[in-house]
Amino acid sequence: MVERIRRGLRVWAALARAGLRTELQYRANFVFGILGGLALQGAGLAVIGTILARFQTIGGWTLPELMLLYGMRLTSHGLWTLPCSNLMVIDTAVREAEFDRYLTRPVSPFVQLITRRLPVTTISDLAGGLAILGVALATTHLHWTPARLLLLVSALVGGALIELSGQTAIAGLAFRMLSTTSLKFTLDDVFNTFGNYPTKIFGPAARWALTVVLPLAFASYFPATVLLDRTGELWIPVWLACLAPAVGAALFVAAYRFWRGQLRHYASSGH
Amino acid sequence: MRRYVALARMQARVVLAYRVDYLNGLIGLVLQVFLLAVVWRTVYGHRDSVDGVPLATMLAYVTLASVQSWLFNPWVFTLIPERVREGRVGVDLVRPVGFVSQVVAAQVGRTAATAPFALAALPFGVLLSGMAAPASPAAAVGYVVSLAAGYAVTTLLSVVFGLITFWTMEIGGIFIIYRMVAQFLSGALIPLWFMPGPVRTVAQLLPFQAVTYTPTAIYLGRLGAGSAVLAIGVQCAWVLVLALLTRLVWSRALHRVVVQGG
Repeated sequence: MVERIRRGLRVWAALARAGLRTELQYRANFVFGILGGLALQGAGLAVIGTILARFQTIGGWTLPELMLLYGMRLTSHGLWTLPCSNLMVIDTAVREAEFDRYLTRPVSPFVQLITRRLPVTTISDLAGGLAILGVALATTHLHWTPARLLLLVSALVGGALIELSGQTAIAGLAFRMLSTTSLKFTLDDVFNTFGNYPTKIFGPAARWALTVVLPLAFASYFPATVLLDRTGELWIPVWLACLAPAVGAALFVAAYRFWRGQLRHYASSGH
Repeated sequence: MRRYVALARMQARVVLAYRVDYLNGLIGLVLQVFLLAVVWRTVYGHRDSVDGVPLATMLAYVTLASVQSWLFNPWVFTLIPERVREGRVGVDLVRPVGFVSQVVAAQVGRTAATAPFALAALPFGVLLSGMAAPASPAAAVGYVVSLAAGYAVTTLLSVVFGLITFWTMEIGGIFIIYRMVAQFLSGALIPLWFMPGPVRTVAQLLPFQAVTYTPTAIYLGRLGAGSAVLAIGVQCAWVLVLALLTRLVWSRALHRVVVQGG
């Protein structure tokens, strides 16, 4: 098991180097690609900052608190897009019968799919997220204990797993539906639109929908309320909010099993 | 003129061929309107009005500005980057119609075909956020004039920036930075009246506010008759400046043409 993981990481690192070399062939474009990614994510924060310049808080959350939520969300986003965003191109891989190759090689088809080309520029999500998170941690003056630190780190991974689970489940549908672009972008839109704000402001209906139907609230919002001592505003028990990272892990296991199950429906497009 | 109509119609057909993508774009637009409406309702709290701006006006602003901005700021800099990258610019240049005019005609065709999608989003905006009638008959007339001028500004900006491709070939990252800055400074997300002083000054000095903020503020009566006329004057000045800039950049770009694979 350890050997397999180590081998997987080695393969991933080799591909990362190759991907970086590819990108550096077009140096200016690479730099602008990263700056573009930062602009895309920074715009959302600029909106929050501008509104707060006039209104002080959004739903009782101050700027440092909102930055913590934003930074956690963006870091999680970066943690899933950097290694796995090739899931988004599964339609092409299925339609053009690229999967034939994956099925004959002795590495998990899932790993082969996500390592098909390394999207180096998504590093901007991770870098931007960590930078915002850093500023937030420096300005919120939270009382840090080992337990809280553990919650923060595991919530970052758990948030990544929640978004990844959604995308994995949709990718599973690609074997039969062949075109899942709309679903993928809608999911991405929902996460990018609603993930950066305290879920409670969206009203009772959307609040529950984002807890149960599309459990976006578990990604960053629930853990953030625990870290910021804002659990008073929650509509779920506090212990469940603390277990948010475990929810992410459980969802990913379920989504991955679903994906493997759907793989049986893969029909090569023929040669 | 007939030639331009033909070019516009061709692009309109391209949009309709990819209508599913545009329907997906609509979902994003509706989500954004809902988000902004929730955020404004939240920050207003129990107040009916902040700085003399009633909540109802703010919610109508969200609907109008979001839908307009979606229609006016597509996810491409006109056709220029793709034509240059794929080397098809060579064909464009031998056509008996000026290149810039072709690009503008195509852009108008695209917008015309996208307009029904934007109109389809309007009822959702009304439902999730809000809507208001034009502040007065004069405001309605001013809105139409200002909207046309705003469209001219955004299209010319898009052409000028698209022409950069003649120097750089790739433009992906630059485009995203441009789009984010343009969207923010156009007032599509936050009206200029709620921007902090220095940011508002920057926004007022740049052409982007002429695209979304000016028409919407005139429609809602946030700009009185005098200021509305002045604002439309500013828009027209920008159209003139940008048209001259386009000519200048184009005359330089023409010497940089590389036809890839040609």
